[in-house]
Amino acid sequence: MVAVLVGNHYEVLGIDARATPEQVERAYRFCLEMYGDASVAIYSLLDPDEQRRARSRVQEAYEVLRDPFRRHDYDASQGFTRPGAPMPSLPRPAAGPVPVRVPPPPPPRLAAPQVLEPPVDGAALRRFREQRGISLKDIAARSKIGVRYLEYIEADRHALLPAPVYLRGFLQEYARATGLEPQRTAEAYMSRLRRASERQ
Amino acid sequence: MMEAVPAVLPASAARQRRQVWSVGGGKGGIGKSLITAALGYQLARVGRKVVLVDADLGGANLHTCLGLAGPSLTLGDFICRRADRIEDVMVETGVPGLRLISGASDFLGAANIKYAQKVRVLNRIRALDVDIILMDLGAGTSFNIIDFFLVSDVGILTVVPEPTSIENGYRFIKSALYRRLRGAATNGTVRTIVDSALDHKNPLGIRTPLDLLAAVEREDPASVPVLKQQLTSFHPRFVVNQVRDPSDVSIGHQLVTACARHLGVKATYAGYVPFDDSVWRCVRQRRLFASAMPDCPSAQKVRELARGLMQGESLALTW
Ligand SMILES: Nc1ncnc2c1ncn2[C@@H]1O[C@H](COP(=O)(O)OP(=O)(O)OP(=O)(O)O)[C@@H](O)[C@H]1O
Ligand SMILES: [Mg+2]
Repeated sequence: MVAVLVGNHYEVLGIDARATPEQVERAYRFCLEMYGDASVAIYSLLDPDEQRRARSRVQEAYEVLRDPFRRHDYDASQGFTRPGAPMPSLPRPAAGPVPVRVPPPPPPRLAAPQVLEPPVDGAALRRFREQRGISLKDIAARSKIGVRYLEYIEADRHALLPAPVYLRGFLQEYARATGLEPQRTAEAYMSRLRRASERQ
Repeated sequence: MMEAVPAVLPASAARQRRQVWSVGGGKGGIGKSLITAALGYQLARVGRKVVLVDADLGGANLHTCLGLAGPSLTLGDFICRRADRIEDVMVETGVPGLRLISGASDFLGAANIKYAQKVRVLNRIRALDVDIILMDLGAGTSFNIIDFFLVSDVGILTVVPEPTSIENGYRFIKSALYRRLRGAATNGTVRTIVDSALDHKNPLGIRTPLDLLAAVEREDPASVPVLKQQLTSFHPRFVVNQVRDPSDVSIGHQLVTACARHLGVKATYAGYVPFDDSVWRCVRQRRLFASAMPDCPSAQKVRELARGLMQGESLALTW
């Protein structure tokens, strides 16, 4: 049995404990690509099941490290100190009951999720979002997707987007956060992307 | 505290140590010969005395990559003693400082040389008055190829961004490493474990060098340090050829990461060469792209590759 991915969250992403949030994001993207279904680099090295487990281990590490609070707790639990690391921006109560984290408020409820006219590309998504007065930070807070990815989606930076399985989830989250119909929005964006890559 | 370094190095140290570099890759037709020829050209251009050795005895064509006709005397003649001295089978290439020992041979048996013959060849080649001996190993993972790779100071592993090539690349690494571990084994138990690891469906469930070490740890812990030492001193250097976009460039970093994590092998990423129409156009005209079109993207990247390899540098993954 191959040791799929051992070590702490930082080792899994291949970064050191002082990594900035941007570095966490980039390392995550690298690992996603490396263990993705379309990966060439690990071909024949891992079997499909090992590849899947490696991917979920990467995802697990990322979920913790991209959230400043979870990362802070994790570092404390592992005995990592990060000199110079910015503390999570909200002050935490020094003692007392464990704080209950309040989820970001849902966006104003719209009558029904909207469906965009084609072409559903990054620019169309962005126009729609801006009309609603929703910032990328809002979406990121709600969906736990890094702002960087949301920017890639809106800028149609196809080469930098994650593998389709992840991208679909990201697009659906984006759609939910802005009040668009998730399935159809994701499908429309992705089929455009597929056509673009076929043309290449 | 830094140690004081003498301002002028003694003459013996100043002289570059003679090095053997080899270019392998497991798969055929991925650019090993062209990269060997182009690297040799670049090294000679910056003043290194280089001899190219076409060790692809069954499919020698390095001379053609250099635009030369098949020489009358080749490595095959030296191996079967039709030529006495290795110098007799070495020819000038027309590039100052770059010479060639061709492998082209009518003697097909040369593809299966015996161990003792290999040692003789290597010793004579190593004794040549040059700075760098650069060997084109040909395709496959036969002992001939792997033994040359293992005695090299710099072992270059060529791949292209395709699953078939990557698969053969990993097979090459495992074959080379297992051969090395077997040579280091001090007793029958360890040799048996290494031999069984060569069979992919082995009953011990060994699929990687790391599994192998774990199996040895169980059966004969005293042998672990020797094997670990062999594992940690094995440093293949990847060259990704025929790169077409930025995600292909990233494959080199992924290979290095995967080797470390899943094989326990510390590889490095020496560099990459773009897919470039100039390359195959030059091949058709029997000219070397590196000299015929020095400004084409692939020639430029081979220049960077040569510089990095000479200075022991590699492409680092930075976030
Ligand atoms: N960077 C490149 N850009 C374009 N074409 C390339 C490139 N590298 C190699 N090729 C093509 O691949 C062909 C095979 O290259 P080469 O003969 O060097 O491969 P090889 O690995 O030595 O093959 P063999 O295993 O048969 O010895 C070349 O003739 C050329 O057409
Ligand atoms: Mg060749």
